[in-house]
Amino acid sequence: MNAVIRHWPDTGETRIPYWVYTDKDIYQSELERICYGEHWLYAGLEAEIPSVGSYRTTTLGERSVIVVRSAPDEISVLENRCRHRGVTICQARSGKVPAITCPYHQWTYTLNGSLRGIPFRRGIHGKGGMSADFSPKDLGLVRLKVEVVNGVIWASFSDKTKPFREYFSERLWHSYERMFSGRKLRVDGYTRQTIPANWKLLIENFRDPYHAGLLHVFLPTFGLFRPDQGLELRMDETGRHGSLMPVPGHDPKAHSGEDFLSETAHDKSLKLADRRLIEAVHELKGEETVSTSTIFPSVIFLQQINSLQVRQIVPKGTDEFELIFTFFGFEDDDEEMRQRRIRHGNLFGPAGLVTVDDFEVLPMAQSSFRAAEDEESVLMMGQGGRVNSDQGSMATESPIRGFYEYYREVMGL
Amino acid sequence: MTALANSEAAAGHQDVRACYEDVRAFYDAYYEALDDDRIEEWPNFFVDDCLYRIIPRENYEAGQKTCLMQGDSKGMLTDRVRAIRSTQVYAPRYCRRFYSSLRLVGRTGGELQIRQNLLVVHTLISQPSKILGCGGAHDRLTLSDNGNLKLIERTIVLDTEMIDNTIIFPF
Repeated sequence: MNAVIRHWPDTGETRIPYWVYTDKDIYQSELERICYGEHWLYAGLEAEIPSVGSYRTTTLGERSVIVVRSAPDEISVLENRCRHRGVTICQARSGKVPAITCPYHQWTYTLNGSLRGIPFRRGIHGKGGMSADFSPKDLGLVRLKVEVVNGVIWASFSDKTKPFREYFSERLWHSYERMFSGRKLRVDGYTRQTIPANWKLLIENFRDPYHAGLLHVFLPTFGLFRPDQGLELRMDETGRHGSLMPVPGHDPKAHSGEDFLSETAHDKSLKLADRRLIEAVHELKGEETVSTSTIFPSVIFLQQINSLQVRQIVPKGTDEFELIFTFFGFEDDDEEMRQRRIRHGNLFGPAGLVTVDDFEVLPMAQSSFRAAEDEESVLMMGQGGRVNSDQGSMATESPIRGFYEYYREVMGL
Repeated sequence: MTALANSEAAAGHQDVRACYEDVRAFYDAYYEALDDDRIEEWPNFFVDDCLYRIIPRENYEAGQKTCLMQGDSKGMLTDRVRAIRSTQVYAPRYCRRFYSSLRLVGRTGGELQIRQNLLVVHTLISQPSKILGCGGAHDRLTLSDNGNLKLIERTIVLDTEMIDNTIIFPF
């Protein structure tokens, strides 16, 4: 494990030093301690691999893995790397196979990763081949620990990772169950993009209620954000996971929202020509209008209007990450709901009317870090420390401080 | 006039060649408006009840409907233009579209089906130009009697599934 020699500022999590976003040793240590450590990484949805032999490839940390239905009731997550010469075996994003065969020398593995056969093991006409003590059972594909929870596939590089529900915590469970109740999912498609910024900035962005109505002018302009709305803001015991759920406002004095609107730059004369872009039907449990969960370290779940999404983060060095959106609905959605979800998808993804703001502003931060590594971010909104609150405020950065409390612990910073 | 053109003329259509010139002029005007950043004019190239989509090829081929951009009315295209101009935050950039020759793949009643390849390059100021998208457009145009052309549908299937961060402007 890399030694981390940086010194965190004495001001605790109210200051974030810029070197956490630029230092290559820090990044290597993040891969080892976070991605390959005792954490669950998002590996996909059960609905994506419906029958035995169906597989998808994805990237966990920086490693390619095969997520495959290896038996009717078994999903295996295997490192996509032949034990013979290290070749990445599956190149396709998805498919269906009876076994996993490396193209280089046709070493063949079963769907759960055992080495089943190698050509010419006993040589050709008695010449060559492997020695008698060659042991295929030691040369299976590297298997990850797997847990499937209400249709979501989780994988961990460590055998010591706690059961998922305990890992995520009871306190946050309702935010998970709200989107993943066990109702059968139907995947509607994907978007993929490369964002020139450090991966942590995206998680911070999702734990930052302060920016929602300010950066995203679209939201208050077209009525998707009300300044009087309440906020349920929760974190697990460690601070690493979090959920933010705005709830409809109840304070009659605040209903006009004039104070808020006068502090933000938005044009009240703007109206949508086609309201169907944002017109939603209530469908999930509870009165929350939006729910977002960040599940440390690799994934964000979001419901807004009738769009349901998983956003998977794939780190690519200090200055870049990939973001993959999986848009989904439910198997029993009617045609109207399917259309509505697709339409609402306009707000999200690489061309999202709302999300573009985030993806554009994060690189604007990243590009200034390199030249000023010893400077610090200021995270004092909502005072110091972190709080769990069912009547929280949008004017807080407490969830970001919670993230860094755990980050410092796991990184030894 | 050929027999084919004769029969089409009898059905109330223009000569195919003349029609092809009109279609080319239509696309020249379409791309010029976008390249010159006159995006307010963009919705006017569509009929009211239109469909505009930029869809990743992996979704298109899997029969999945998720798009990068999707508008199923002219109003929704106007809404995107309003967001680009008034609400979205993005670094300044130029965007230029390079299109191949047109292929008329079908003609039914007053409707033309057109295919073409498309390459879109974006240039963030002070940075090298980069490919934003490479793909193919599957369009349906109405051919009205007065020679006015409008898009009924434009579906751009993008081979470029890994987007260089964001797409702001339509193709």
